[in-house]
Amino acid sequence: MKKRSMKSIGLSFLLVFSLLFTVGCTSSEKETKAAEEVKVATTKQAVNLYTDRHYDTDEQLFQLFTKETGIQVNVVKGNSDELIERLAREGKDTEADLLMTADAGRLHRAKEQGLLQSVESDVLVQNIPENLKDKDNKWFGLTVRARVIVYSKDRVNPASLSTYEDLTSSKWQGKILTRSSSNIYNQSLLASFIAIHGEDKAKEWAKGMVANLAREPKGNDRDQATAVVAGEGDLAIMNTYYLGKMLESSNPEEVKVAQNVGVFFPDKDGTGTHINVSGIGITNYSKNKENAVKLMEFLSDAKAQEQFAQANFEYPVNPKVEPSELLKSWGDFKPQKINLSQLGEYNNRAVEIFNEVGWK
Amino acid sequence: MIKINNKVKQNLNAWSVLSFIFIMLIILPNLNILGGIFSPANENWQHIKTFLLQDYIINTLKLVVFAGIFTILLGTSLSWLISAFDFPLRNFFKWSLVLSLAIPPYIAAYTYNGLLNYTGIIQTFLRSTLHLQINQKYFDIMSEKGAIFIFTMCLFPYVYTITQAFLEKQSAALIENARILGRSPLEIFFYIIIPVSRAAIVGGTSLVILEVLNDYGVVKYFGIPTFSTAIFQTWFAFGDIDSAIRLSAVLLLMVFVILFLEKILRGRKKFSFTTTKIRPITRQKLIGIKGMIAFSYCLIVFSLGFLIPTLQLIYWSLLTYEKILNAKFLSLLANTVFISLLAAGLIVIIAVVIANYCRISGGTAAKIYSKVTTLGYSIPGAVIAIAVIVFFINLDHRLYWLYKFLNPETGKLILSTSLVMLTFAYVIRFLAIGFNSIESGFEKNGVGFFEASRTLGMNITETFWKIDLPMIKPAVISGFLLVFVDILKELPLTLILRPFNFDTLATKAFEYANDEMIHEASIASLFIIAVSIIAIYFFYKTGDKEAK
Amino acid sequence: MFVKIKGLNFRYKNAKEETINDFHLRINKGEIVSILGQSGSGKSTVLRLVAGLEMPGSGSIIINNVVMVDDNNFVLPEKRGVGMVFQDYALFPHLTVEENVMFGLKKIDRKAKKVRVGEVLALVNLKEFSKRYPYELSGGQQQRAALARALAPQPSLLLLDEPFSNLDKDLQLKIREELKGILKATGITAIFVTHDQSDAKALADYIVILEKGKILQEGKPLEILE
Repeated sequence: MKKRSMKSIGLSFLLVFSLLFTVGCTSSEKETKAAEEVKVATTKQAVNLYTDRHYDTDEQLFQLFTKETGIQVNVVKGNSDELIERLAREGKDTEADLLMTADAGRLHRAKEQGLLQSVESDVLVQNIPENLKDKDNKWFGLTVRARVIVYSKDRVNPASLSTYEDLTSSKWQGKILTRSSSNIYNQSLLASFIAIHGEDKAKEWAKGMVANLAREPKGNDRDQATAVVAGEGDLAIMNTYYLGKMLESSNPEEVKVAQNVGVFFPDKDGTGTHINVSGIGITNYSKNKENAVKLMEFLSDAKAQEQFAQANFEYPVNPKVEPSELLKSWGDFKPQKINLSQLGEYNNRAVEIFNEVGWK
Repeated sequence: MIKINNKVKQNLNAWSVLSFIFIMLIILPNLNILGGIFSPANENWQHIKTFLLQDYIINTLKLVVFAGIFTILLGTSLSWLISAFDFPLRNFFKWSLVLSLAIPPYIAAYTYNGLLNYTGIIQTFLRSTLHLQINQKYFDIMSEKGAIFIFTMCLFPYVYTITQAFLEKQSAALIENARILGRSPLEIFFYIIIPVSRAAIVGGTSLVILEVLNDYGVVKYFGIPTFSTAIFQTWFAFGDIDSAIRLSAVLLLMVFVILFLEKILRGRKKFSFTTTKIRPITRQKLIGIKGMIAFSYCLIVFSLGFLIPTLQLIYWSLLTYEKILNAKFLSLLANTVFISLLAAGLIVIIAVVIANYCRISGGTAAKIYSKVTTLGYSIPGAVIAIAVIVFFINLDHRLYWLYKFLNPETGKLILSTSLVMLTFAYVIRFLAIGFNSIESGFEKNGVGFFEASRTLGMNITETFWKIDLPMIKPAVISGFLLVFVDILKELPLTLILRPFNFDTLATKAFEYANDEMIHEASIASLFIIAVSIIAIYFFYKTGDKEAK
Repeated sequence: MFVKIKGLNFRYKNAKEETINDFHLRINKGEIVSILGQSGSGKSTVLRLVAGLEMPGSGSIIINNVVMVDDNNFVLPEKRGVGMVFQDYALFPHLTVEENVMFGLKKIDRKAKKVRVGEVLALVNLKEFSKRYPYELSGGQQQRAALARALAPQPSLLLLDEPFSNLDKDLQLKIREELKGILKATGITAIFVTHDQSDAKALADYIVILEKGKILQEGKPLEILE
């Protein structure tokens, strides 16, 4: 009897100490165990993709890819920030070969965290313009969207619109609508200004915008268009594809909203309209790199590009492919000429500026 | 020395060892968070502190304070009306007012937004049928005020049910006395009801506050920067887990302050549902205009809190059910039910073990244990998520040799990419609910039966199976139901900790809503609401049975 | 000596004073001892110590030459073979009278259990109530059921905690006589605790008067009462 109770005391102490020890050595342990080999266990040809896109047309493209190459595409869908965090957490044990996500800023963040690796591929270089990919070839844009000014057809004469900078002039006081600065699209927009005009000018612009806002930033891009039609303001900053989505909405009221606003591409004569990409990169610890490169090449190819871009009302990156009729109807524009890597490089600074000028 | 051995012999057994392990598993992950305060701050944190922290604190406090005040007003006034008066449909309202609890705040949030926004049914009607020009300000639910409205309508039943049960059972003599002394109902409400039921009101309100602090869905959807959104943001968008831990620590401190205030406000009184000598209040009949006012008041609250959002969801689901109800949805449903049953079962088992141990040993350790079990419910989901993930990644690194031994081909992250992690987090968060229910079951039965069984030759474990368990069965069932519903609705933990390709009704509904596909979110939401209603019904039914 | 209690001390957690102070008691086999005292005198605590529900600070309890408690030993209540009738009876509400009585019978086959239950229920005159649940019994019947349950496993020592406190005055006299008959019929050694002198006088072979945890007086009923 006595012996048994001593034993269980000992056991419970052991448990506590081992648990305490576990907690105590949280961070120091991570680095030391860096050199473990990774088993590549792939018998049948496959490629694993983490993506934040969820379109049925993507599935069709992947099926086509499998048919052509015999490589199975396994897809894990999720929220883009969570996917990146997940990838970081999984480290070298990740199953993912490819990360596909919207916004160059995010792709850059993944690159900075060491989650992506360089790819040498002539096909990709041919299909994708220089400024729409990473400098170190760690990620490649696949589709392009523009961040434009949307205006009320009733109240605004498009002739009075010109540049992003003009939005800060006093004539638009209390007229401008935009979403919160916590959103990456706005962060990338400001990052592009830092890259082009420098930090001081960018900050001045952000300050001017805050002064002209019709209401506190809230809602998503669609809400801004709706607010324009509802009369809360006259102009909104918005990504092009959202308008396409609204025109296709199952809610007829939303279609009406989209029909009542016009699209204006700013800075036609200056530095150009802000563009961004949805892109893809191979994970640093990919176990099926060859297959992954094949899928990237496939998606950048003229054949896939049209369908891939159209699924989300975006512009194809491949210059050989024409945008859809809807996008063409909005007219041509001159895109910003900076390398999109810079959107990521200046992201932190952009966030800080937003917070400093009080853009919620 | 000899004496100690004796003590050990009496107390140390499987129950205490198991309880000890469970308690340690709950404490350890959270220690990491508190440790976060003492580690040196990085640059990000400086930036957060200078420009953002103040906003987080102010916004969070605003929501907590106003939601708290309005739930108190609504909850106590309704419980007073229902307890002390008779008016048209009073019996219906008595239970139907609780139904708001079946609608999780995040579902109410996007339902109301869909209802009220420019393209919603109300504005469309006013615009196209009545040709009214509408100022958006009056319909703007996506604001702090809107969030306060949503929290109030969804959470006031916490105050209402606790206070109502208290008034019904405990205050008859006081109220009747006050009436005889010639006081008007309003005077009685302010001078008798509020002070007497203070403990119940404070108890209910602190639940409301903890729910508001825990919320992620509403504030994220409405774009209000609070602590829980900030934790997600710094963690996921900036990949800065250190600052996220730091924010969690600040939030945790706020929680502790609130719990401390609760203790002070509640005073030495405990709100208890003593079942002895229940004498219901003789209700006063409200006739004519007074009856109509009481009726309308209840109807408005019931409509805003339950009827309107539910009808809107039903309407949307009629538009989309063909698209949504398919094999994928069924697997979603199966997932949700599976994980909820699993975690709820686990929680009840752990709660029973700890509660039984605490009751038998009754020492300082027992007191600490029961405090620890309730800890998790006070900690917002976002904080638990961080604590659990850090803990599990670490655990995986420690157990790697074992994985390798079992399967040479293994990856390193086994537990932290599995459902185990999510289940573990559920246990931490909801153990309190199971524990409270089971503890009160034990309390009600006292130790007499346990001791009788011991003198009849049964040891602790035999006694547990033959005597304790059958006797606390109603408490176990109602604890299980409460936990089950809470897990079904749970959002922040599930969003972060679920393995890939694992969706629950809650996460799916929220994702749809966040993608501006409100109509598609309706079916999953309705399922959550329906299951919650069923569970609430059974909960009250077992409660009634017990009372008999 | 059948029961030997020596130098027993006990203090409840958080209590300032000793609840039991240097208590001693010696009981012959078949004797019925009454511990008499006001409420708060510690008399019920003595029973709980003998039953093993509490652990003494010091002292020893020996029953039938087996050491139940001393400085080196502590036998768990379920191993003591001591029966107890609780003040509020503690009849398991989810079990019938028969199941309650059968509860303490272990390690014998079903048939033997049935026989034993029949015997004991006959002894307390409850045979026709065997299928009833506790809440379907009157106070006196509940008391007898609790007695039957405690007697069924043939304990070497029976403890009764205020056996009559929950009964009406008339019933109390009747039950007291019945109880005395039953106890004497089984020849069991028993300790019962009461605050009522007349109970003690009517039932006990030996009386111990307890006050504030200390023995005030002890002796045969005729010696100390009156």
